Amino acid sequence: MVRHDRLLLKYILPVLALLVALVYFPLVKGLITAFRHYNLFDLRDTSFIGFDNFKAAIGDKTFSFAQIFLNTMIWIFASLLFQFVLGFALALLLRKPFKGRGLYSGLVFYTWALSGFAIGLLWSWIFNGQFGLANDILMRLGIIDSPIGFLSDPRYAMVSVVVVNVWYGIPFFGIMLLAALQSVPNELYEAATIDGAGRVTRFFKVTVPFVAPVIVSTTLLRMMWIMNFPEIIFGMTNGGPANATNILATQMLYKIYKEYDYGQASAISFMIMAILFAYSLLYLSATSRKERDF
Amino acid sequence: MKRIVLVVMVVLAATLAISCGASNGKVQLTFLEVLTSPERTAMINGIIADYEKLHPNVTINLISPPYESADNKLTMMLNNDEKLDIIEVRDYTLRQFVNNKKLENLEKRLAAWSEGKDLLPIALASARTADNIAYIIPQFFYIKALFVRTDILAAKGITVMPKTFDELIADCKKVTNKKKGQFGFDWRGKSSEFKFSDLIQLSDVPNIDPNNIYKTADGAFSLATPEAQAALVKYVNLFKDSVPSDGINWGFNEQVNAFISGVTPFLIQDPDTVSLVDKQLGRDKYTVIPLPVGKSGKAVVDYGFASLGIPSYSKHKDAAWDFIKFFSSAKENAAFCKQYGPLPVHASTYADDPFFSTGVYQAWRTEMSDQDHYLFVKYPLGSEKWPAWPQTHEQTMQSLLLGKISPTEATAKFADYWK
Amino acid sequence: MSPKGRFLRSAGKFLALAAFLIFAIGPLLWIILTSLKDLKEVYTFPIQYFPKKPSFASYTKLFSFARFGVYFRNSLILTLTASFGALVFAVLSGFGLSRIGKRSLKQRLLLLLYFTQMVPPFIIMTPLYTTFSSMGASDSMIIVAIIYVSIVLAFSVIMAKSFFDRIPIEIDEAARVDGCSVFQSLVWVIIPVMRSGLAAIFCFAFVNIWNELFVAVLFLNSPNHLTIPVALNSFISKAGISWDILSAGIVVALLPTMLVFAFGQRYIVAGLTEGSVKG
Repeated sequence: MVRHDRLLLKYILPVLALLVALVYFPLVKGLITAFRHYNLFDLRDTSFIGFDNFKAAIGDKTFSFAQIFLNTMIWIFASLLFQFVLGFALALLLRKPFKGRGLYSGLVFYTWALSGFAIGLLWSWIFNGQFGLANDILMRLGIIDSPIGFLSDPRYAMVSVVVVNVWYGIPFFGIMLLAALQSVPNELYEAATIDGAGRVTRFFKVTVPFVAPVIVSTTLLRMMWIMNFPEIIFGMTNGGPANATNILATQMLYKIYKEYDYGQASAISFMIMAILFAYSLLYLSATSRKERDF
Repeated sequence: MKRIVLVVMVVLAATLAISCGASNGKVQLTFLEVLTSPERTAMINGIIADYEKLHPNVTINLISPPYESADNKLTMMLNNDEKLDIIEVRDYTLRQFVNNKKLENLEKRLAAWSEGKDLLPIALASARTADNIAYIIPQFFYIKALFVRTDILAAKGITVMPKTFDELIADCKKVTNKKKGQFGFDWRGKSSEFKFSDLIQLSDVPNIDPNNIYKTADGAFSLATPEAQAALVKYVNLFKDSVPSDGINWGFNEQVNAFISGVTPFLIQDPDTVSLVDKQLGRDKYTVIPLPVGKSGKAVVDYGFASLGIPSYSKHKDAAWDFIKFFSSAKENAAFCKQYGPLPVHASTYADDPFFSTGVYQAWRTEMSDQDHYLFVKYPLGSEKWPAWPQTHEQTMQSLLLGKISPTEATAKFADYWK
Repeated sequence: MSPKGRFLRSAGKFLALAAFLIFAIGPLLWIILTSLKDLKEVYTFPIQYFPKKPSFASYTKLFSFARFGVYFRNSLILTLTASFGALVFAVLSGFGLSRIGKRSLKQRLLLLLYFTQMVPPFIIMTPLYTTFSSMGASDSMIIVAIIYVSIVLAFSVIMAKSFFDRIPIEIDEAARVDGCSVFQSLVWVIIPVMRSGLAAIFCFAFVNIWNELFVAVLFLNSPNHLTIPVALNSFISKAGISWDILSAGIVVALLPTMLVFAFGQRYIVAGLTEGSVKG
């Protein structure tokens, strides 16, 4: 087998070349600005300033970094957990063919096909705390008496944006896990049933272990994507109210779009990548078994 | 590997060949607008078509990036010396482009332009915003006025329009019936919300420096004056009494939605909002009146503007200037403003065309001519602290409205920021 | 299982499916209703759900005034080109990665792929723009297509590798015994076995590229080059959102991706299944 490695490497090289040219090279250039005073507001001075951008981002008086960090963690893990659990549930429901399954999946999976900004726009209208659809429906059903400030009350704001992210993200897990589930051999279930396993036991002893590799790789990738997905929050709350939904990615976007401070934005992306990298290593070492590629 | 490099080279060469195109003796100008909307783009294309008819050797390519990312794209293009000959510059971006030496000094051209003498004093002042040098020619002014739902107020028995902010606040309270979903004031809680609180707060302060709204004539920080602090409390109470608590998260779209659906009958907005409200509501249900004044007897009115400029590296500066002259002529400017909404820049337009002094535009006409009651002020857009200010103010104000900090603490934070 | 238990189960399943459907489709219904409304009916309080006189005027405006047809074509060309491009690269590299023998090398290459997914896209946009601008390659749909390939590449390769992993290596070895080269065995023997896996990769790439906004805004200038997400984003202006045209645009923009899902989803399911039965 090893004798083909040089040839096979050639198949991989074009991809590596593209990624080096279009991701790694600009990444290095971008990260260098993290150590410079680099504000488009005034480019006459772009000297190197060491870790000042990091200090400024972490020590911001208006935007408590601790809170942003905590928000980021809630955003990632709450979104990921519910996207995954609901996506898995949907995949299980769709696993056996039924009449109209194709149409049904088209209708539940379309949310993935919307642009981030359109999602933010649409849902901030739905979640409006005065004349929004969600309040109107809940009030008509008699579930609440007065409108809820989904996006203006700090208690609900984070929950609301996570709900939207879950709404958007279920299809990814739904499709990936649905595919993976199809490959669980029936014999395994039969064997488990003969051994007297109930539904729950079969699920945890047969289904989950069989699709585990897909779970590991999809949750890992999804986590990275959620971390770098500021559009929904940016469109719905702008990180407010009072910093309640501000995450690292929105703060970075704000630095670029409104403050033109590329130095601090790069510093924040440095932190984003460091967090993701550390987390990935932890995650992989915790989930990996001896002989598997992640 | 060699083969890969070769393929990449070929692809790039092909790209270059396609993107360059032939020039065949014609002058090709590139014009980038930033305050894009599909209707506005169509109007600009109309003006371009007229100009090209008069100047067959010139073609103008219009770039219309979506409004939300247009400034960013323009910045990026300028910093890379991308082909641009005419650019739309906003009050917010001017300083940055001047700092980075991306704008051509237009003083000589302005002096030689016959219609330049017709520009309003405020337009000339705006042209020279940066370093007192005319880098730009203002095209449109955005000045706030009070939009009023006459139908709703009439139903509540309010027929006399508020002349002071205190009267406005009292009216808002009178209209409000929270149980029925009726509120008074159309709050702005995010995205440039400071313009609304500053207006109400600082109109109570007697001696605002017109060159920097955050300073008084004697150099003190205006938001920390006793009058401004008292007005801040008033502003917070207005929110508690007459605004849906959701207002804290309202931007422009929510404001418009609240006004059109009738939730709040008082809205403070720019003239380009008129056409939208006309389309979605109808002129019979609302009107626009001059801004109320504060305890100082005046309203401090900030004026936003959009303008045209020429990149310093443009290769067709004369041709670009010729188009700018055409675009900024009293005739074109007035016609454009009529369709698009904002206020035109020539004195003769206001004198000749009743459109801009009657109907809803009467409100703006009053504000612009009544110097006893309206003080036009500038924001410190040139300060390096400026770019981060809007978000700082927004999050601090939201904390205040949520009761997380006191008005005194909020003022202290503002003062600390501008220290 | 008793009939009663079976009934309860299918009733529960039905309710769960219905819940998912309502959650997913509610906002879409709202958008469709909005697109059929007159502008004066868009903002109402209390909310008026149904248009008094449904009209398709917004859709007409979308294609006449807003030139949606042009953007639709551009988006289609860009998305198809980039998705096919990504597919070709993904097949070659995925195969290579799957079949490479040296484990440490394989792990390192995979790490390189995964790492690209951690990079915040906004941080590489500026340097990328500067690079292409200095090459004089701005406003080029080809460049944008290449960037799009690079955006979906890592995930496509990872997916392709997992598909190839499920195809037993004995198949390519048998082909080579019959005299095929490595490349020939890939093209003539292995690819036909994983046709549906390819469809799956294509679908993922298509959906991601179809919605891409930031690269398109930054790298494309001419109105004849704009794509659908850019056009939709243009309906948000300083003076408000044109909800009539925007909602019609959102509905129209959904159609191709829904089609791709409807067809592709079958293959995605089948594609993963196929490999595993043998592996």
